[in-house]
Amino acid sequence: MKVHVEHLTRVEGHGDIVLNAGSGKLESVQWRVTEAPRLFESFVVGRPYHQLAQITSRICGICSIGHTLASLKATEAALGVEISTQSAMLRRLALHAENLQSHILHIGYLVAPDLFGAGSVFPLIETHPAAVHNIVKLHRISNEMSDLVCGRTTHPTNLVVGGVWKVPSEKSLIEIRQKLVDCVDTFNDVARVVLANAERLPAFSRETEYVALGSEIEYALYDGAIASTDTGRHPVDDYRSVVNEFVVPQSTAKYCRHARDSYMVGALARFNLNHDKLTPLAKQWARKFGLYPVNCNPFMNNVAQVVEFGHSLEDSIALINKMLNRGLKDEARQKITPKAGHGVGAIEVPRGILFHDYTYNDKGVCAKANCVIPTNQNHGNIQKDMEAFAPTLLDRPGREIELNLEMLVRAYDPCISCSTHCMKVRFKL
Amino acid sequence: MKPKVAIFDFASCEGCELQIVNLEEAIIDVAKLVDIVEFREAMKESSDDYDIAIVEGSIARPIDEERLKKIRAKAKILIALGACAHLGGVQRLGNRFSPDENKKEVYHMARPEDISDGNPYFKEPRHRALDEVVKVDYTIPGCPINRVEFAKVLVALLTGKKPPIPDYPVCVECKKKENTCLYTVGGVCMGPVARGGCDAICPTYGGECEACRGYVSHPHEKAQMDVLAKYGLTAEEIMNRKTMFTSRYTEKKGGE
Amino acid sequence: MKIIKREDFKAFVNALIKDSGLDVEGVKAKGEKFAFGPLESADDLRLDYDVTLLPPKKYFLPQYEQLLKFDLSHPFSVDRPEYPRRKVVIGVHPYDIAAIRQMDSYFLDTDISANYLRRRKNTLIIGCDVMKVQEKAFFGSMGTGVMHSGYDLYLTDLGDRVAMEIGTEAGSDLLRYAKNIREASPVEVQKVKAMREAMAQKASRGLIVKPTGWHDLLEKNYESEVWKKQSDKCLGCGTCTLVCPTCFCYDIQDDLNLDLKTGERLRTWDGCLLRKFTEIGSGEVFRDDILDRYRHRFHRKGRYLPDRLGFVACVGCGRCASQCVPDIADPVNLINMLFEASPHLVQDSLSDPHTVRTDLQVIQTGDDAKMLHMPQAATIKRVEKLSAKETMFEITLDSGKTLGHTPGQFVEVSIMGMGEAPISVSSAPNGKSFEIVVRKVGDVTSKIHTMKAGDKVGIRGPFGRGFNVEGLKGRNILFIGGGIGIIPMRSFINYVLDHRKEYGEVTILYGCKEPCEMLFSKEVASWSKRDDIQHKRTVDKCPDGECWDGDLGVITTLIPKVKFDPKTTVAVVVGPPIMYKFVNRELLKLGVPEENIVVSLERRMKCGVGKCGHCQINGVYVCKEGPVFNYRDLKNLPEAFK
Repeated sequence: MKVHVEHLTRVEGHGDIVLNAGSGKLESVQWRVTEAPRLFESFVVGRPYHQLAQITSRICGICSIGHTLASLKATEAALGVEISTQSAMLRRLALHAENLQSHILHIGYLVAPDLFGAGSVFPLIETHPAAVHNIVKLHRISNEMSDLVCGRTTHPTNLVVGGVWKVPSEKSLIEIRQKLVDCVDTFNDVARVVLANAERLPAFSRETEYVALGSEIEYALYDGAIASTDTGRHPVDDYRSVVNEFVVPQSTAKYCRHARDSYMVGALARFNLNHDKLTPLAKQWARKFGLYPVNCNPFMNNVAQVVEFGHSLEDSIALINKMLNRGLKDEARQKITPKAGHGVGAIEVPRGILFHDYTYNDKGVCAKANCVIPTNQNHGNIQKDMEAFAPTLLDRPGREIELNLEMLVRAYDPCISCSTHCMKVRFKL
Repeated sequence: MKPKVAIFDFASCEGCELQIVNLEEAIIDVAKLVDIVEFREAMKESSDDYDIAIVEGSIARPIDEERLKKIRAKAKILIALGACAHLGGVQRLGNRFSPDENKKEVYHMARPEDISDGNPYFKEPRHRALDEVVKVDYTIPGCPINRVEFAKVLVALLTGKKPPIPDYPVCVECKKKENTCLYTVGGVCMGPVARGGCDAICPTYGGECEACRGYVSHPHEKAQMDVLAKYGLTAEEIMNRKTMFTSRYTEKKGGE
Repeated sequence: MKIIKREDFKAFVNALIKDSGLDVEGVKAKGEKFAFGPLESADDLRLDYDVTLLPPKKYFLPQYEQLLKFDLSHPFSVDRPEYPRRKVVIGVHPYDIAAIRQMDSYFLDTDISANYLRRRKNTLIIGCDVMKVQEKAFFGSMGTGVMHSGYDLYLTDLGDRVAMEIGTEAGSDLLRYAKNIREASPVEVQKVKAMREAMAQKASRGLIVKPTGWHDLLEKNYESEVWKKQSDKCLGCGTCTLVCPTCFCYDIQDDLNLDLKTGERLRTWDGCLLRKFTEIGSGEVFRDDILDRYRHRFHRKGRYLPDRLGFVACVGCGRCASQCVPDIADPVNLINMLFEASPHLVQDSLSDPHTVRTDLQVIQTGDDAKMLHMPQAATIKRVEKLSAKETMFEITLDSGKTLGHTPGQFVEVSIMGMGEAPISVSSAPNGKSFEIVVRKVGDVTSKIHTMKAGDKVGIRGPFGRGFNVEGLKGRNILFIGGGIGIIPMRSFINYVLDHRKEYGEVTILYGCKEPCEMLFSKEVASWSKRDDIQHKRTVDKCPDGECWDGDLGVITTLIPKVKFDPKTTVAVVVGPPIMYKFVNRELLKLGVPEENIVVSLERRMKCGVGKCGHCQINGVYVCKEGPVFNYRDLKNLPEAFK
């Protein structure tokens, strides 16, 4: 039997799953990343520092805010630029907005059809109108928050080297806070629907190393050190010793490995490492789903995203309250003096830990760049999970094998454009 | 019969497709107007039977070129979605270097035989716009596209109207929004030659326009370059402005 | 003059803001610049500003304005936008007051401007003296630094006090919100006035030619090299027109919603520096060269509007000068350069460059249905395909009234959700219905081509000046029609044939590219059979396999083949732009007097009433003074037969 899923659907980017089996025995299973390479690290060379975030934002349309922020942090580290407390708060809010948008997109539009046995969200408009409307509402309000803080939802215009350009008005923050407060009930409804269908998620488990940012003071998203469930903390500047990128011929995306043959990043990794810093709403939903650290079922990444949605929702409200209490003020644009330097920016984006690493010459022009994307770090782990998971499926019909393998890859919420930028399973029986 | 729409993507960030999802409640209206028969980013089903193909992304490798030609052959109307499909995207910046140079920079840790042209996934990626490979009927420009404009184009196509993509510079919407002109506060901007329709989103937030929607049909390019020079930009800095999204216009070979 | 203490003035502004029935707008800081915007507190009001980014024009002619809302299930019972709320605009500088008065004079002569009138009537203007002169401002040279009317209240910031002058009763009435007002002392009055005059003097910037001389300077230097030199640097971005308080041109767009049923018709600012400004359905652009667009802007301000309305449409605010990136929009520089390069003696040809009409009672005559660019419902009665591209539609107005057109006039045909297109009426005015022939070139015309008998369209008009059918009675008439020029001409031809005895000798020449393009073939064939008219027709070429019984060659070759007396014959010439050049030259050569050549021109006619600015040929509005013109009146207009 051959399974070949070409251009896997309901993921961001192009990837294939190829499985060969004979007489109930797995011969090979392979995860291929076939997306056309876009070679960002090469063509940012020669571009001025103020264009780097704008260019690298285009690595991914779904986590463009995360790329922008990682890029800005790398540039600011290289040029020795400090940002104000207010700017840091707004950037955290921006990151929450993207986390909310991306997680609800993944849970609501990409995973939910599997849970309801549909091909896409479109038939659900008829069959589950209330659920779809709730999902759309959460998605819309997440995007409204992006619009407010970032200028727009994709490829933000308001986040720049040295801070943020336009500070939202007090009135607009109060309005968005009210909408977020209204979303708590909507979120609880959506989470209940996911919980009711969660038994469709396969009970598979494989011991794995998890890597994410870790911090003593908060559920690390914007700032922190590198944390591993195997090896503990590492400084961000030592990221290369953690990611160890390598190239395989079946993939235009690079792969990564650390303490084992592969590791996993993303919502589940963050939960496993930082669960104690979640907000009460998030902790409450983790308990309801039976999600406890350290959980080694990659399918539970979907659940970890639901939990994180609750966290980002509650923490956004808290952040806005804090900002309103401090009072908002327009800040003059920071004057940046270009200089030679090297800097690494690390940030947690919806799919996991992201690194941007730049070297600038004395004119502030990029001389060298390296971006390590969460999905790159997950490719190896997807392969290892597949090798462990596929043999358990071989007694089932082809369609079911296909669906389960697809659900596995989808659980990682891979962002393939990012990672090269991949997906589809084609069967040859 | 509702027209059948298929959405495809090539080398891109898929941010433009995301803007379709970002129509939020209006996507439900869209689903009432057309049958979306393929949309890999959001649905499992696929189909070879469609009227309108909406294609995001730039065309990089021979395998991509082949796939696009097959799509073109099946579609009655082909729409280029976003800057990658319209102009080649930011990744077109990589065309400045040879494929080998690019691969060496990015995949320096690889075994050379794994990433050679013998591997179709890696074969000489040169990013091009769709219309450099096949005939394109309409273009929805922007990086990313303006979702409101996407809806307007859809309405236009369904009612037999020419898609209302503006052909005036970004300055028009920028002035109507009463933004402070960047040139008057020590900045520079490509707005005077860049195609509007974005509601001047970047200058509204104080950022310079990088002409992600391409140029207007008759740009006063010489005057624009003179202005950039007058505002103190070096030749290299001017070239940077000209090539962020619009290197298509300056590329010697394969450009317009 | 009244005096109020600063804290009482603030209390006055805050009291206005508190009134929920009023929208209070005022000048506020916007980054390093200033802009009019909604006031939330008197503390935000900046009476010390130099100039705002956009003029207060936006309150009367908004950037985007809904003209009407429609629902395609009943397209002609449209919802009008809500009546604008009562508004107070605080801090309008005198030059902007002058501009608003010019705008009144421009718009308030036709009921199409009902939206403008409503906004104008519901807005109170509180002016204020300029305290800080923007470096490019030159209102001192334009005589707009001091205004004696055009405001409801007028403020002068005296530091610890504010002086107030009452302009109108409505302004005086506003003072009920204020406490502790006293009369100004004669000393205070004298000081305010002296300060005001001094400030106006400061903003002069060395303008060499007074505004009264602009008209003559521009007229005599139309071909000056300065135009080319400056326009070479022009970005064509439209900024100078968009920020100008006296640029009024607008475009109209239809927006249909995703339900494909409801939508709105929007008016939005346009500008003559933009290339698309003069583009017509077929894709022709009449001012394609940036030089022509650049020159047009200054001529409209210094010549065309003064000719029409008496005022120089520049108030010296300096907005264009300070926002033009290549720095070529500054009227002071342009006028000075033009003067320096001028070989001619320049005279003051305008007596008062600021004569404006301020009477707001002028309009509001017609019935409500004619307002707001509102088309009336009409029904297609008959459809006849004339050629591959042209189809004729017979239409009646649902009101039961006749259109009441003169041959040569046009109507705006409106399809909700698509837009409007100017189409000439091709039937003679006889009976209840009228006919239009539509060539498929754009969205609207393509849509009309899909329509059938019983379908509804909207009609505005008839517009423009048609043929002088009465005045030409008794005269010999030579019709020369090229291509689709026959369409508007047919209404006149049929009128003449209907009243044959009232005209002298009648000759009809008609030419097309190919036989398949010939319109009204039955009627044309009947012309040959009549012995009371001469008729010849020609085609440029006849492809193999097509039948043709007429001549071969361009239309000018027909002229020598017919007999007519050049001295007494009136030539009616309608055709594509290129045809006029050759036909007119031929006619003049034969001795036809200029005043005996009548032409009809095509331009982008959007509003139909000389407001939107698109159809201008130099100073002439084709939609209003044309489309039918006497050659004599056009021959000196460089843009007419370009």
